[in-house]
Amino acid sequence: MTTGFWAGVRLVAGRAIAEAWASKSWRIITAVSVLVGIALVVVPRVLADDTTEYTLATVGQAPPALLTALEAAGAAGEFEVTVRTVPDAQAAEALLRDGDADAALTGVGQGAILYVSERADGTFPALVSQAALALAITDQLAQAGLSPAEIARVQATPPPEQVPVGRVADEGRAGVGFVSGILLYLALILTGTAIATAVATEKSSRISEVLLTAMRPTQLLVGTVLGVGLLGLVQIAAIGIPAAIGLASGGGIDLPAATTGDILLAVGWFVLGLALYAFVFAALGALVDKPTEVGAATMPANILLVASYMFAVIVTIQDPNGAASTTASMLPVSAPLVMPIRWASGLVPTQAGA
Amino acid sequence: MVLEARGLTHSFGERLALAGVDLTVRPGVLTGLLGPNGAGKTTLMRVLLGIIDPDAGEVLLDGRPVQFADRQRWGYMPQERGLYPAMTAGGQLTYFARVHGLDRSTAQERARALLAELGLGDRFDSKAEQLSGGMQQRLQLGTALVHDPDVIVLDEPFAGLDPVAVEELTVTLRARVAAGRTVLLSSHQLDLVQDLCEEIVMVDHGRTVLAGPVAQLRAASGRRQLRLGMPGHDGRDWLAAFPGVVVVDEAADALRLSLPPDVDALAVLDAARRTAPVVDFGLDLPTLSQLFLAAAGEGSDAADAASLSGGAEVHA
Repeated sequence: MTTGFWAGVRLVAGRAIAEAWASKSWRIITAVSVLVGIALVVVPRVLADDTTEYTLATVGQAPPALLTALEAAGAAGEFEVTVRTVPDAQAAEALLRDGDADAALTGVGQGAILYVSERADGTFPALVSQAALALAITDQLAQAGLSPAEIARVQATPPPEQVPVGRVADEGRAGVGFVSGILLYLALILTGTAIATAVATEKSSRISEVLLTAMRPTQLLVGTVLGVGLLGLVQIAAIGIPAAIGLASGGGIDLPAATTGDILLAVGWFVLGLALYAFVFAALGALVDKPTEVGAATMPANILLVASYMFAVIVTIQDPNGAASTTASMLPVSAPLVMPIRWASGLVPTQAGA
Repeated sequence: MVLEARGLTHSFGERLALAGVDLTVRPGVLTGLLGPNGAGKTTLMRVLLGIIDPDAGEVLLDGRPVQFADRQRWGYMPQERGLYPAMTAGGQLTYFARVHGLDRSTAQERARALLAELGLGDRFDSKAEQLSGGMQQRLQLGTALVHDPDVIVLDEPFAGLDPVAVEELTVTLRARVAAGRTVLLSSHQLDLVQDLCEEIVMVDHGRTVLAGPVAQLRAASGRRQLRLGMPGHDGRDWLAAFPGVVVVDEAADALRLSLPPDVDALAVLDAARRTAPVVDFGLDLPTLSQLFLAAAGEGSDAADAASLSGGAEVHA
């Protein structure tokens, strides 16, 4: 045979890529993918950018220590506090009722009242209340004869450390998992369908018959899967890389601390899964005579994908390290969807493959 | 290279598509594979090309079994036409040339030369979908010829072509035949190809029913008719010297005789001229469809006959 195995594969794959590259629609879709990838990161950040603002009404001048404490809490919790001074409690209540303030404080000592707006979520009133309480305690400790250093030591007692157990407490991480789930699912189903359609089209137009007189079926199969699969990967990268760069370059979401090895593992897992599905879709595409029948022929693979996807976004995001998720992330058909989401949750032990 | 099929058998489930077909295609002889629709022509070609494996029998090239590598030097045009719609004409030809083992620059060279030969010289960069139907047909033929194959197999190349296109295609194929290539083409329009092919193989119901040089087959047939214009002469006595010769028609001044295979038409003509002046004469050879009907025998019905002689009209 004049053509070597891989030379033939390269030829078939190269043709598929060249055809896509020359087509306007493919370039447009890829450009749109890049924009979608950027939007995935930028849009939530722009939306989240308007820092929450709380207005606190105080009857009379508020103690400076209280304001300092609230400002410190605001810097940590990403909110800003505006303080308005009102002459009496009635004026404070009026502000709350009109929605011009989120909370109103009549004082810090004994008998002080904290008026709370119905709109305000529990966090801000609790913070104000805590700050007022701390201030009152400081006063009392000072009156009891403690030196400022002793008071500071008392106040420095750290609260119990919080450790999330089981369910992912971090919404950011769950969001990363959710978005990766959608992207991976779309990538698999679109690439798979593209491969099945390519195979069915060549078969229906009898081009495959002409090719098969000069090529081994395996060359044609591997070449088509590689070519169309690579095109699919390029589009995933078009969405995924801008999104990943955006996430990594600092933002509201803290990515789990992952080593390069972890990332490679997750990507490799997905590529292996894509390869598996690509061959399944190619085989299913070869069963039909017309490209229009591809949908029906690839139904079994689609069902598997949908089931894996549902499992990944419903079960795995909630409970990434449960027995079911662990099993699904090892099962070849569901692994490409489940494993990267477990990785996004940051809970995959490095020896997961063992 | 001599392409041969020996006792090819193939069935699709219960249906026997090939029931022991024999075939020989010699280089330099344009050979037609003929038969009605469903006779097994396409299946036979696909077996020859190695696209499907026969249940029994073998395909030989110069007397030895065909290898995969041999078929890299073959060209095939399937009946259902298919090109990559979004690829350029030049791109497709280059691709198919490279699939058959040519390097990139040679492939491009060949593609340009062939497009020029097919009258598509200025269409190298046109996408296939932008070409007219006739141009796509020629481009399709190009994909089978671009690597200058030793063996060329074309399935129904004349289907849907107008007479001018048939003539152009014939010229292109004759050039290959003259260069010593082995060319086999199939057709269900027997009478269309009887003047094009030098040799034919007729198949019906998966069997070879007739094979050989067209001229010989027609001349040796028992269905020759001699037409004699002998005005004013009604005597038939001179025919007694030729047993087996039957008068089929005596309209006006023309006498139409059916000649058995062993009777020399020229001897009959000489005898007639000795009897009376012959002002007009002609020897009508049977058409290929008539030969087919005779060879296929009772198996063929009226529908077959219609399909064979009037193919284009019937199937258009």
